[in-house]
Amino acid sequence: MSKLDAVTLEVIWNRMIASVDEAAKAIVRTSFSTLSNEANDFACVLTDVDGQLLAQNSGSIPSFIGTLPATVRHTLAKFGSEGLSPGDIICTNDPWQGTGHLNDCSIVRPIFKGNRLIAFAATASHMPDIGGRIRSVEAREIFEEGFHIPLMKILRAGEADQTFFELLRTQVRTPEQTEGDIYAQITANYLIEDRVLAMLGEYGLEDLAALSLELNGRTEAAMRAAIREVPDGIYEYEMQTDGLAAGAPFTFALKLTVRGETIHFDFAGTSAVQPRAINCPFCYTYAMSAYAIKCALLPDIPNNSGMLRPITVEAPENSLLNPLPPASVGARASTGHYVPILAFGALAAVMPERVMAAAGSPLWNCTQSGVRPNGQSYASNLFFNGGMGATATADGENAISWPSNLSCTPVEVAEQYAPLLFHYKRLRPNSGGGGQYRGGLGEDILIESLSDSPIAVTFMAERTRYGAPGLAGGEDGEVGSVQINGVEVDNRAQHHLETGARIMIATPGGGGYGSRQDRRDDHVQTDQKLGYETKDAT
Amino acid sequence: MTRYALGIDIGGTFTDVVLFDKEQGRRLTRKTLTTPGDPAEAVLQAVDQVLGEESIPPAEIERVVHATTLFTNALIERKGARTALLTTEGFRDSLEIGRERKYDLYDLAAKKPRQLAPRDLRFEVDERMLADGTVHRPLDTGRLDQIAKDLENADVSSLAIVFLHSYRNDSHERAAGERISELLPELAVSLSSDVAPEIREFERASTTVANAYIKPLARDYLDALNERLSAREITAPLLLMLSSGGLTHVGEVRRSPVQMLESGPAAGALAAADIGRAEGLDHVLAFDMGGTTAKLCLIDGEEPEIAYRFEAAREIRFAEGSGLPIRISAVELIEIGAGGGSIARLDGLGLLKAGPDSAGAVPGPVAYGRGGELPTVTDADFALGYLGAKGFAGGAIDVDLAGCHAALDTLAGQAGLSPQKLAWGVHDLVNENMASAARVHIAEKGRDPRNYTLVATGGAGPVHAYYLARKLGIKRVVCPRNAGVASALGLLLAPARVDRTAAFAAEMDAMDWPVLEAAYQALEDEARQVIADTGKDQARVQRLADMRNVGQGFELVVNLPPGPYHQGSGKLLQEAYAQAYQTHFTRQPPNVPIAMAAIRVRLTAPLEQIVDDLAQRPDQPNPQTGIRDVYFPETDGAVETAVLDRAAMTIGENFTGPAVVEEAESTMVIGPGGRFHVSDSGNLVIELPEEPEENP
Repeated sequence: MSKLDAVTLEVIWNRMIASVDEAAKAIVRTSFSTLSNEANDFACVLTDVDGQLLAQNSGSIPSFIGTLPATVRHTLAKFGSEGLSPGDIICTNDPWQGTGHLNDCSIVRPIFKGNRLIAFAATASHMPDIGGRIRSVEAREIFEEGFHIPLMKILRAGEADQTFFELLRTQVRTPEQTEGDIYAQITANYLIEDRVLAMLGEYGLEDLAALSLELNGRTEAAMRAAIREVPDGIYEYEMQTDGLAAGAPFTFALKLTVRGETIHFDFAGTSAVQPRAINCPFCYTYAMSAYAIKCALLPDIPNNSGMLRPITVEAPENSLLNPLPPASVGARASTGHYVPILAFGALAAVMPERVMAAAGSPLWNCTQSGVRPNGQSYASNLFFNGGMGATATADGENAISWPSNLSCTPVEVAEQYAPLLFHYKRLRPNSGGGGQYRGGLGEDILIESLSDSPIAVTFMAERTRYGAPGLAGGEDGEVGSVQINGVEVDNRAQHHLETGARIMIATPGGGGYGSRQDRRDDHVQTDQKLGYETKDAT
Repeated sequence: MTRYALGIDIGGTFTDVVLFDKEQGRRLTRKTLTTPGDPAEAVLQAVDQVLGEESIPPAEIERVVHATTLFTNALIERKGARTALLTTEGFRDSLEIGRERKYDLYDLAAKKPRQLAPRDLRFEVDERMLADGTVHRPLDTGRLDQIAKDLENADVSSLAIVFLHSYRNDSHERAAGERISELLPELAVSLSSDVAPEIREFERASTTVANAYIKPLARDYLDALNERLSAREITAPLLLMLSSGGLTHVGEVRRSPVQMLESGPAAGALAAADIGRAEGLDHVLAFDMGGTTAKLCLIDGEEPEIAYRFEAAREIRFAEGSGLPIRISAVELIEIGAGGGSIARLDGLGLLKAGPDSAGAVPGPVAYGRGGELPTVTDADFALGYLGAKGFAGGAIDVDLAGCHAALDTLAGQAGLSPQKLAWGVHDLVNENMASAARVHIAEKGRDPRNYTLVATGGAGPVHAYYLARKLGIKRVVCPRNAGVASALGLLLAPARVDRTAAFAAEMDAMDWPVLEAAYQALEDEARQVIADTGKDQARVQRLADMRNVGQGFELVVNLPPGPYHQGSGKLLQEAYAQAYQTHFTRQPPNVPIAMAAIRVRLTAPLEQIVDDLAQRPDQPNPQTGIRDVYFPETDGAVETAVLDRAAMTIGENFTGPAVVEEAESTMVIGPGGRFHVSDSGNLVIELPEEPEENP
């Protein structure tokens, strides 16, 4: 088709990305959830009529790679294209058909040109509340985790299903805000439709079929070409992590098969599903696998389905990386964030220069609930991060969110909100794994309770027993630690802080890269000068 | 007698000077290459030329208004002062830890912006305020004496002091600043409670450290410029453009130079707002495109909107998050890596890209013949016939058309396109990049681009305006006279203006009204003094406040009704909040108590008037100076097109495109069917055809 030359394609692709970016701004602007409007914990996409991704908003975090197109395909499987009408809105928060936990609602709108179905607009966003226990890893089954919405039409031909909304409002703590956020997504979906139809009109196109074929074809070819550069072979990597208790670590195993133009992930050997909300549904496992490959092979190209086609993933049923219902999955990130590290570990055998040593992730979190002096109760959520892993050319960045992208709460805001006093929040010297390139530093935080009444605290903490592995002879990053009044505590259990009690949180450092002997003298000196490494370190 | 106003705008490539003769309603303009080693040099050259041309006595200049990218460049190039940071014990790393976010999700090597104060120059002292402003631990003054010694030994020339919760209680910061200044009188000191008194320690520190980093430079540069202007017997006060679009005096910028970072773009936005007023437009999309970047700014009503945060010195591809957060009042605009120097190339997928990397002034576009080898947007514009080689940039540049075509031919061969298609592709693509950014920005503000008029300025703005407008569904484009030096003209319009802020934490239900009123009055008195120092005695006062629903993590800046406030004002303030919430979030605020986090005042003196006497224009019978082949997508090929001389066009006479309208500093391109005329205000007004032709 002569219309789709190198210029027209680029212009139209940009336009489609702008349409989902516009929708993203609309969500930021209209949603109540601070995870949406501050942490970009949402996604907006445009797919073709078969659920092949054409454009995804630029800022969306890796957890959403491939999830919304899959939800669109589940929609097609359940309703069939003939079962969809203009004005229908389909919704689900099913972890297996959506994004991996109940907190995200995925919303799909079929786009019609005249009477013909030509595309789908879809959005996923983190709800302010979805009922159930709040951010607790203690849930043993999904039934404890909140209101579960099967894939269903919540608007039919523009008409809202009042029964659904009444049920939803009854199940959640913040009915106005949760319902409001669903409508914010519906508005964003409508916006995508509006922009896409305008673009088709402007370019005289009847549908997106030829565009989808061409764009997805080009990215698929680019990914295949990139994979071709990776030597064929089977590359294996295994890693142990904290587990639920000392002496019972989880095992993560990956067998990565590179053959010609394809990459296959097999997670056989990974530990079994757990009676805690740390299980990682397969869609999230897939997203994190694809993310790792994109980082290593094609970081600059916008997401679409073609890019994903040469990447296949399997994980044993009812393992940590493919739990089946009714497994609890709320804190899936605590497990899923390990996946890209496994991929890098395996790829390091053949392309060490393109990957990174392990980071001090998954993300850390400290949730407190208590009562202010005026009798008002409050809950507050603080995120912390470890160091990045080192690469073949650079030290890891210090204290940074990866593979997610959650901002930390400013100390001044945290202290204004809750009766806490931070004694320090500082880089953690010597925590980065040694190497030719050093892992990024974690951080040390000491928080004192100024509350007259006890504060209940829970944590999300990983790598407190097994540090972030180094690569190519690099050393492991320092493990993290959670202490109360100077004593290491069980970070999987809830604790109560009395007045004056102090929590010390030390996040893990990133793994090093290459041998420490090969570290350049000036880098060693800079580390000493800046205090990243101190002389008393062994 | 004082009849002249002088505007000076130093940009990355060019220094623009405009002299306005108020008596005769005339402007003299001059564009000269910036002299980075000694920026005042280019200024004085241009001023001498402009004054010399008509033997204007320097004493007749009433005021001098100045904008510069000098300080921004010092941040980008990391060429500021050796800067140290002093913090509360336990928090010297806040500056480095930042918000723990990445600006690029897929680049494993993505780094946080490099700190302006490295870790070995970050000191801590024992002291502590609580969130409510009460002292938890006293300031250890003894320790300060040791720190002063360390600062001296480390050869530091500027210091930022950022203590926790100093926005609530600044006494420790002040005491520390005073003590260190006593010991080291030469050291420049910046207090966070003074530069950016707002909650959030990282952003406050980032702003204060940036201020400290450029403070010695600003002091030296401004003193030298003042001195050299005085030596030329230009004794009129030197006024400086702020990022907010207001003016202030040298003393204020010496204290807080960070306020001047966005002065050039602010002046451009002011110029566009003025053009909008002259044309009676309610909704203007200001579009300024230069060599490296394009800026877009929405203007609804009289003035551009103000934002209270922006990012300076984005390091990587202008990506959001790769710069330094700065908390000051600044004209709200978006900046895109799209300019005449943007380089065209094919990416890994074989698709065409234009920018964001730029050939800049050196080596520049291939057509400039200064060593540039990669085809740029400007080269494409030459190949399409939009730009004419003859008399380009007033004859300052000898255009190498053959080299320009050769470079484009090579790329066209790689892309499998005809050279003409490729050139149009580059033009179209850079427009699409700008349109995409504009659409997303406009969506963020909840507005519709079709309601706007595009006002095109900058060297490349008028060349790209017509087809950019078409992409956005905009029906009208306005191109002012001297569009290429519009920012310098904007300087002459700017009112004296002061923005001040102070922390003020209180729930609305429990407001102590006399205390609030006193706090506003204290800020207003401080601001009024600055206005008076610029020689103005009148100012409009706007009160604002940062407000939120209790429990929310972010504040809205709300325009409030005028004071004085008392017990009965509560309802009005709550209504103002509800309205701002509705505008920003398109919904009613949740039914939760409202809290105030900070108060702000903005004092603005009346706008200056610049009225051109257009009757003096030479009316010539035929403004057409020639014909050349120009490509238009509507004709899908080059057609013979009229070239008009802007200065020779008669007010009110109607023309129809295709056409190119030339003046010394820029060229306006009008597509087939576009109708245009010079308005009564002297602006070129272009109406796009009702139904855009279908794209090729």
